[in-house]
Amino acid sequence: MIGAALNSLTLASATQPEYPSIDDFLPPELLFQGTPFAINRIILVRILATIIMLIVLGVTAHRVKLIPGRWQGAVEWLIEFVRDQIVYQVMGELRGKRYVPMITTVFCTLLVFNLCGIIPGFNIAASATITLPLVFAMWCFCQYWIAGIREKGLGHFLRDELFPKGVPAPIYILLSPIQLLELLVIRPFSLTIRLFANMVSGHLILGLCLSATQFFLIDIANKAMAPFGVITFAAGMFMFLFEALVACLQAYIFAILTTAYINMSFPEAD
Amino acid sequence: MVTEAANGVSLFLPETYDVVWSLIILVIVAVFFYKFFLPKFQAVFDERAAKIEGGIAKAEQAQKDANAAKAKYEAQMSEARVEAAKIRDDARAEASHIVADARTRAEADAAQITANAQRSLESQQQQALVSLKGEVGTLATALAGKILGAKLEDKDVQSSMIDSMLDDLDAKK
Repeated sequence: MIGAALNSLTLASATQPEYPSIDDFLPPELLFQGTPFAINRIILVRILATIIMLIVLGVTAHRVKLIPGRWQGAVEWLIEFVRDQIVYQVMGELRGKRYVPMITTVFCTLLVFNLCGIIPGFNIAASATITLPLVFAMWCFCQYWIAGIREKGLGHFLRDELFPKGVPAPIYILLSPIQLLELLVIRPFSLTIRLFANMVSGHLILGLCLSATQFFLIDIANKAMAPFGVITFAAGMFMFLFEALVACLQAYIFAILTTAYINMSFPEAD
Repeated sequence: MVTEAANGVSLFLPETYDVVWSLIILVIVAVFFYKFFLPKFQAVFDERAAKIEGGIAKAEQAQKDANAAKAKYEAQMSEARVEAAKIRDDARAEASHIVADARTRAEADAAQITANAQRSLESQQQQALVSLKGEVGTLATALAGKILGAKLEDKDVQSSMIDSMLDDLDAKK
């Protein structure tokens, strides 16, 4: 099967660019095939990214000093950004304190995983399978249910969510199922799909630009199309930077929406 | 075409091993952030805040001390100034006292000297008078002798005798 794939690849490279496909997101298992611990390329990237992140941040935390150096200053800026600009901004300090570690975990991990998509050698976001965003979204799901039940009790929580105040009674026929759907499905899956689709599309577009550049500038014998290769290279550079932005932005959106969903489970003081 | 469609759907179907690894990584990462990374940084943040607050408190204390010292110094200054003024006034009063004293003493001395002089003058005069009286006696005796010697009938002689006697008296006096 691998041989056939290689064959088709070499065949393709001669006549047309080696375009990226959704197969990139379903790579063959490399280790422990067939077991629940099977590792494919994306999971390998994920494990490596995790190890690197833990080592870098762990060493930073181990050597943390009262008077910060430049690197520690940058890490502290990141921690304070998540704490002040995401958590405290949305839910305030009193409620937010409990959720700072969770949101920091979500933001930092997704940021590193998303950035793997533009790190040469990795070349694919560690968050680019449906499962990883889903796992993080389920964490968020559990947290906002727990928060709702703890703060209001299950009955109160469901009543507030399914029958919002100030709505005429007949509307509830339409509104309540939508609200229930929102609470059970839409929130976690919108989080998941948003992140996953961004990572997939980013990889596909960046891969498209770079593979076209490779093909038109280097592989093809007829160099008449070389100017087009230059254009695709410029587009590839642009997409590279754009993906860096998207990686940060999606981590930020995921973190701030998680915070907002949890915050919605708290009773509104009015 | 069929396989591609299947691939597209399978993109959204979680694989068991993917779920396992995602969960393992999530747990590891969460434990790391909850138990190690954030507490370490929080400790440093707290320590730093305490240091800064301590520094501010210390600076405030120093400021307070400086203000107290300044107030004390100023109080001492004004006290010293008052004292100096008092000493000056005292000195001036004493000086005028001394001058006045000296003047009264001098005046008294002068008066006494004058009185003494007066008294000595008077006593001399007295002495003169006494001695004059004595001499007048002798003179009178002599005069009487003369009168007895040079005949006393002649009026001229008489008057010249009296004149000379008076001259004598004057001269004696």
